[in-house]
Amino acid sequence: MRYGDFTPFDIVLLLQGLGVSLALFVSTTLIGLFIGTVWAVIRFYRVPVLMQLVTFVAELLKNSPVLVQLFLVFFGLPAFLKINVTPTEAAVITLSGNSAAFIYVIAVSAIESVGRDQIEAARVFGLTRWQILRRVIAPQATAFAIGPLTGLLVNQLQVTSLISVIGVMDLTKVGNILNLRTLKPFLVWTAVGLLYYLTAKLVTYAGARFEKRLRAHTAWKGL
Amino acid sequence: MISITGLRKSFGAATVLNGIDLEIRQGEVVSVLGSSGSGKSTLIRCINGLEKIDAGKITVDGFDVSKPRELSEARKRSGTVFQLFNLYPHMTAVQNVALAPIEVLKLPRMQAEAEARELLHSVGLTERADAYPSQLSGGQRQRVGICRALAMKPSYLLLDEVTSALDPEMTSEVLSILAALAKTGTTMVFVTHEIEFARSISSRIAFLDKGQLIADLPTEEFFSATGMALPRVAQFLSKMRKD
Ligand SMILES: Nc1ncnc2c1ncn2[C@@H]1O[C@H](COP(=O)(O)OP(=O)(O)OP(=O)(O)O)[C@@H](O)[C@H]1O
Ligand SMILES: [Mg+2]
Repeated sequence: MRYGDFTPFDIVLLLQGLGVSLALFVSTTLIGLFIGTVWAVIRFYRVPVLMQLVTFVAELLKNSPVLVQLFLVFFGLPAFLKINVTPTEAAVITLSGNSAAFIYVIAVSAIESVGRDQIEAARVFGLTRWQILRRVIAPQATAFAIGPLTGLLVNQLQVTSLISVIGVMDLTKVGNILNLRTLKPFLVWTAVGLLYYLTAKLVTYAGARFEKRLRAHTAWKGL
Repeated sequence: MISITGLRKSFGAATVLNGIDLEIRQGEVVSVLGSSGSGKSTLIRCINGLEKIDAGKITVDGFDVSKPRELSEARKRSGTVFQLFNLYPHMTAVQNVALAPIEVLKLPRMQAEAEARELLHSVGLTERADAYPSQLSGGQRQRVGICRALAMKPSYLLLDEVTSALDPEMTSEVLSILAALAKTGTTMVFVTHEIEFARSISSRIAFLDKGQLIADLPTEEFFSATGMALPRVAQFLSKMRKD
């Protein structure tokens, strides 16, 4: 067996890379969901100052390239704050912030999609703003948001591949290594692309299932 | 008692309510009549605190609706039924009715839902209790809307043209429920264009014209020479009867 040949171990390597990509994707999605939702709630309550701050930060994150944000966190932060940032930390911070900004936008429009008249009804019966958010707005806003959210997540999955440039051993980085060793780019990148594709399909499928369940449960024919 | 004194409300430059004084005592059914745009809906929305008032004072059993701390107490005492039902589309009829009792009155879910079912039963919706609003007819939706208001055991019911989005058959099914409520002594502020029905259930008629209360009379007086002596009332009644 020559050095440039594929070995069974390469499969393991690819799967490990996939695992790293998935772990990053899932963790930054969860963090992003949490932060983005909190931001949307801040806006719902019209908290002065904080609300403007959130809008400003979200705008910055949405309108600059993720790669630039990644470099800023990985190279810029250590230089500026004299702290150490590992590639994984930089990746988690950047991707979480980026997801949060887009999830915030989706959450805000989902909250606004719920009809004013029902909210007025709930207010008249004495529900607090928090009770209205939890019992009236959130269930409908979630059903509304699943579609756009699925689209966003499929995109964010692809975006994780950017972190390979700072040395995180994700699926793309593994592809890079295998490619350099075997010099069979067509085979390697086809395999890598296929793995991304299948994962994206899985996300879409899960989103559609979840949406269907939410809507069946609510029988809400909105939109 | 709902007590309104010197109420003023404007939207921008337009004065919609211009100095209203009105009292609604326990057990009364007061119909609010007036042509379109006279401020009837705005009056209701001021009483339940959906609109901020510009001047004057509204109290419900002594609780001032323009004071945030007292508004929640005032709101516990009045229930609103809306023209377009305003049901929560993601909840079944029972859940719609039980929501406020659970969240606001802190009733246990089981009890709140049992009471909701009983209310729905009383308006003939036993079979439809677990249906979602999208699966109900307009008349059925409005009956759920009435149950939702009654579930809070309010001292006062505020009703704003609750039948105007319904066809005649559904209208009569909702009106007969309201007539029954009036008989049992439920206090109501009833905004309507159903003149004959208003006449049959009201103890008093309040007539709004361009944001002013130009008549506040016992029902039969309103429909007799006393009311007719007011040109705007006479004009309104003859126009309504023609339609
Ligand atoms: N939110 C608002 N902003 C601006 N103007 C408003 C608003 N709500 C009501 N108005 C105006 O106030 C006036 C009174 O409206 P209101 O809805 O109280 O009338 P109404 O007596 O209920 O009429 P209708 O019989 O047609 O329901 C109208 O001229 C209306 O255009
Ligand atoms: Mg009106």
